[in-house]
Amino acid sequence: MSNVIEIEDYSWKYVNTRTPAIEGINLTVEEGSFVGIIGPNGAGKTTLAYSMDGLIPGQYNGIKKGTVEVFGTEVEDYAKGELQQLVGVVFSDPEAQFTAMTVEDELVFGMENIGLSVPEIRDRLEWVTELTELSHLLMKPPYEISGGQKQRVALAAVLAMRPKILILDEPTSMLDPVSRGRIFEVLAKLKAEENNTIIVIEHSLENLIPLADQMVLMADGSILLQDETQAFFQQSKLLLDKGLYPPGAMHFFHELKMKNYYQGKYPLTVTEGIDLLREIKGF
Amino acid sequence: MNKTLLGYVPNESPIYSVHPFVKLFFLLIVSLFPMFVTAPDWNIGLMFIIIILMWISRVNMKTLKIYVPVAISMGTIIFISYTVLGGTHPEFELLARVWGINFYWERVRDALVVYFRILPMIFTMVFFLSTSRERDIIVAMRSVKVPFVITYVFAMALRSAGMVLEDFQIVRQAEQARGFDPAGKSLPYKIRQYVMYMIPLFALSLRRSEEFTNALVARGYAFTGEFSKVKRADYILTHYSYKYFDYIFIALIGITFIALLIFRYGFGYFLVEQSWLMGILYGAVS
Repeated sequence: MSNVIEIEDYSWKYVNTRTPAIEGINLTVEEGSFVGIIGPNGAGKTTLAYSMDGLIPGQYNGIKKGTVEVFGTEVEDYAKGELQQLVGVVFSDPEAQFTAMTVEDELVFGMENIGLSVPEIRDRLEWVTELTELSHLLMKPPYEISGGQKQRVALAAVLAMRPKILILDEPTSMLDPVSRGRIFEVLAKLKAEENNTIIVIEHSLENLIPLADQMVLMADGSILLQDETQAFFQQSKLLLDKGLYPPGAMHFFHELKMKNYYQGKYPLTVTEGIDLLREIKGF
Repeated sequence: MNKTLLGYVPNESPIYSVHPFVKLFFLLIVSLFPMFVTAPDWNIGLMFIIIILMWISRVNMKTLKIYVPVAISMGTIIFISYTVLGGTHPEFELLARVWGINFYWERVRDALVVYFRILPMIFTMVFFLSTSRERDIIVAMRSVKVPFVITYVFAMALRSAGMVLEDFQIVRQAEQARGFDPAGKSLPYKIRQYVMYMIPLFALSLRRSEEFTNALVARGYAFTGEFSKVKRADYILTHYSYKYFDYIFIALIGITFIALLIFRYGFGYFLVEQSWLMGILYGAVS
């Protein structure tokens, strides 16, 4: 697998701030991989996401050091709008990213911008509304639907542009557990069927872990840990130190380990936990 | 029910069969009618026609009640401006003198003329806003090849207005949740408090602008033009097509307007001097 994103010694300091928002970042993302980025608030996750989409330095003033390459080209070297065709971003506040008066207008806006023809827009619209189960909402104003539906609209609007890399910046931070689950269902479908490269910044680990191939922990503008998901979560102590509470099953086994009742690897999901308990108990 | 700019109109309303451009054309042309008509009789007639159109379009007529205070206060302001504040005119016919204020027939007549010119214009606007969604305005503008960037800025302005109102509600509720209650307080106090609302509202607007710009850039939009240099496919317009009755409506509105101009300037119709309503009123007050 080739690398679609390569970040080397990257630092970004916003204008009129004393310290860099992110510093010394080295990160590579393989094509088709699902990367989860976690970390406390203020860790620099959003800055990193914006850097990968060219919003930084395009829309913000600041000082950049190092390189951020997407498909082998530095983000600044892409023509206006060209990078956005390759990298799609879904922001945390769905309402803030709505640019149109109906859900349908919202979904086709990006496709019109990249110059697709009417038949192609129609095909993609059908595909994306089926994927995100939005067909019944097409004529509704996007700001009048539920929070979960809004975030699915925001996701669908980006998906319709068929970006090769999809970045979601805390897409479920404003959603209830059911709506959160539905967003991740869509992401699971994308991972299974479309082979997109997906980068998700998220606090909800229960939903993220089953999908993520690779995890990144950020704090204070730096990457503290980066590894494959299974290996990543074996560092429970570091995660807990950073105030990130692993999912229940993992936490349970961590506590067992602390009390010397268990010595193996932590399970990532409840199902894995049950299987592990079965193994231990022998039933 | 479909939400329109001023309320809700049932899905079954015949207004949805009409192309959005026809509605916009109606607004732009028919609201000009009263400017060429000084006889209130005709303008009142126009108001009745618009009410009938609203009824046919199944607009909830109860919503019109909210305009009654507006109509009354507007009428009062116009009447006071023309009579109490109208000055002294010895050449005019004096109807009455109350507390040193002269009430002239000509000034009362002119106040009524102005009032009944403005009212049908408002009725036309209310009809349009009651039967149109934001999308209809955008479609109407794009269907006559108004450049995308203009229609888009217009759409964003509509959307921003809604967002500012929503934010205002949030800020107000936050103030109330902390025990602030302006009920019963003096007007200067209320004004001072409204200034206080403006600060968080302004900060929120700035943040929203940043988020909105990011969203536009992330969707590949730049106001300098489409990066792909490919003709922009206006997908939404594919949902709308002109039907034979749309052309009939456009022709009717256009012909009526031309006829109005011909009758007004060619034959001297629609003048206040010919108004039977004014004749009756004059007979009653003089």
